[in-house]
Amino acid sequence: MNWSSPNKIIVQGITSNWAAFCAVQMKAYGTNIVAGVSPGNGGTKVENIPVFDLIEQVQAQVEKIDVSLIFVDSYQVLDAVREAIAAGINHVIILTPKIPPLDTIELIRHAKKTNTLILGPGSDGIIIPQQAWLGNLQPQFYQPGTVGLITSSRHLSYEVATELNAASLGQSMVISLGDERIIGSSLTHWLSIFNEDPNTKAIVSIGQRINDNDIEAIIAYSKNYGYVKPVIIYLAGLKAPQEKVYGDATTIISNHLSGSIPAVNRDRQTVNKLKKIGIKVANKPSEIPLLIQETLSAEP
Amino acid sequence: MELLEYQAKELFRMVGIPILPSQTIKDSRKIKQLQIPYPVVLKSQVRSGGRGKAGGVRFVANTIDAIAAARNIFNLPILGEYPEVILAEAHYNTEREVFLAIVLDYDLQSPVLLGSAFGGMNVDLLLTNLQQVVVEAEFSLFYARRLAAKMGLSGKLICSVSDIIAKMYRLFFEKDLDLIEINPLGINTQGELMALDGKIKVNDYAVARQPIVETLNFSAQQSKTEPNLNQINWRWLDWHHKLGKVALICGSFDSALLTWDLFKQDKVTPACSLLLENSLITEADNLQLYREKLWEILAQLETIKGIKVIVLNIWESAAISREIVQTISDYCRTAEELTLLSKAEQVLVNSAITADNSSNLNVNYPNLKSNQTPSATPYFILRLLDQDNLEDLPLTEKIYLSSNLEAAISEAITIVKSN
Repeated sequence: MNWSSPNKIIVQGITSNWAAFCAVQMKAYGTNIVAGVSPGNGGTKVENIPVFDLIEQVQAQVEKIDVSLIFVDSYQVLDAVREAIAAGINHVIILTPKIPPLDTIELIRHAKKTNTLILGPGSDGIIIPQQAWLGNLQPQFYQPGTVGLITSSRHLSYEVATELNAASLGQSMVISLGDERIIGSSLTHWLSIFNEDPNTKAIVSIGQRINDNDIEAIIAYSKNYGYVKPVIIYLAGLKAPQEKVYGDATTIISNHLSGSIPAVNRDRQTVNKLKKIGIKVANKPSEIPLLIQETLSAEP
Repeated sequence: MELLEYQAKELFRMVGIPILPSQTIKDSRKIKQLQIPYPVVLKSQVRSGGRGKAGGVRFVANTIDAIAAARNIFNLPILGEYPEVILAEAHYNTEREVFLAIVLDYDLQSPVLLGSAFGGMNVDLLLTNLQQVVVEAEFSLFYARRLAAKMGLSGKLICSVSDIIAKMYRLFFEKDLDLIEINPLGINTQGELMALDGKIKVNDYAVARQPIVETLNFSAQQSKTEPNLNQINWRWLDWHHKLGKVALICGSFDSALLTWDLFKQDKVTPACSLLLENSLITEADNLQLYREKLWEILAQLETIKGIKVIVLNIWESAAISREIVQTISDYCRTAEELTLLSKAEQVLVNSAITADNSSNLNVNYPNLKSNQTPSATPYFILRLLDQDNLEDLPLTEKIYLSSNLEAAISEAITIVKSN
């Protein structure tokens, strides 16, 4: 999908303060929000955006909806995603965080069957500086450029973007994965998209942790296709006294049974695995532009 | 949210997982009214593990023993937690004990069934024999049978244990659980099963849609209060270093993570970190409220000894950035005035001592020492956006502005090392 071309976008749950605030900002920026959906509020308007009770009522007036942005309350998200998928919308961005994980698992399984792209839950959306704005990332912190940015944190993406801007590298597109423990489209998915994107010359991933499954997937992709562009990963807070959270069943149950015994820290292992396949690991935001320039200038 | 054993067993009972006759006791004197025939097991109802080894589980043969044991249990903290309730339960003769659990595996994005043929308190033995089956699609009984077989069970136990797992799965799915565990599941000589102890964790995000949870009488320790959205809130992070000289105030958790990390990379460990989070949507520039919250934080930081530098890393609007600078400089001025005032008092006190030359000096001036050396006002390094818009504000010599995080951190480190 070409995110920079004018797509038709709807906002599910548009009548909450948060959603309305974001929708109005996005529309003012030029995002083509054709309608909002909010059960019980059909027929009203949010600023100039018409509101409907159901997506199918929007479809009676708009031919093809490309993207749905979901802002509904966490317990309504699963239903909202199902409605979007039933309406044939192929791209769903879930901004709502804190969704019960069994719902997330269910919606991801459903999306896989229908080949729907899910970004989030808890995503802050997508931005192409000065072209497209979907979500909650603040456009003033980004500049057009050639670095594809994948982040689990809004704030850290601002910090890294600031460094990239100062080095005149800018961003080709910024993707917020969100920091929920279970997410739809993964880091690996977006790495491969950026790897093939003609406007992107280097890829930067920002996050607190990468789980073992993602590492395996990154290694597998690298073996099968190879990353043709420099990939830099910045794992924030490796030295902060933050308790490491591991998500696999055996570690969960061992920690639970042994009470106070802390989990073995696997960060070093993660970093080594990534370095082995040629991915650069940055220690701080200011290192990122240096690593990019180093790699790009080393190429013929 | 973690349920206590008796609450977990209440849920077990609802789906037909066998449990022993039991009664909860909130007062050791009430034990006289026990309906269960002796011998009885009394169990401290705390969330922490290891209560058996700590003395939180007692076997009693009669009422007199029971009252004494119950008193003991109520007065015995287990990892700092005192029980509010004791569970009195009938005794059960087991031939063997197995372990069963279902947890949500976040990496695999699937529930996972876990089992060990060696249940009970020997955790090492249990874990060495731990088996797992991933529930990749909709649950069906064969997943449970697969686990039972992997655990090495045979004969009728294959079916009876899978039946228990299926019931556990029903709870797991319907009640939005993160974890459900039976340890041990007792098996007697007739092959009958009994859930002797159980743990249940309800997923925190889902608690609000599980009305059953409210009926289980939660203690204050169990129910956490969520921070109020659409507010300006501050809170401590659980990161402390006694010898640290730098305090951090950050606008978000991620920013605290980054800032702390950068200090550590320069071999300096901060003393503590606070978050000042602004989640206001409309009227995000509530300056008065922001000022109040920041002032509260500064007052809190005065109680921490040895702080030389306070670093703020906050991405906020131009208006709030200005308010931050204004608040800090007001704070510094007030602090300086207080210092001057106490110095002036000191002069008075000193002259009084000289004049009096009294021997009961400490009686007259018990607080003399603390008054004598009021702690110096710390330095402030403010990493804020929109520097241009801040330059006209009055700054004292103790306040530094920086728009670059790493520059701000090296400034802070220079001050720490030169003092």
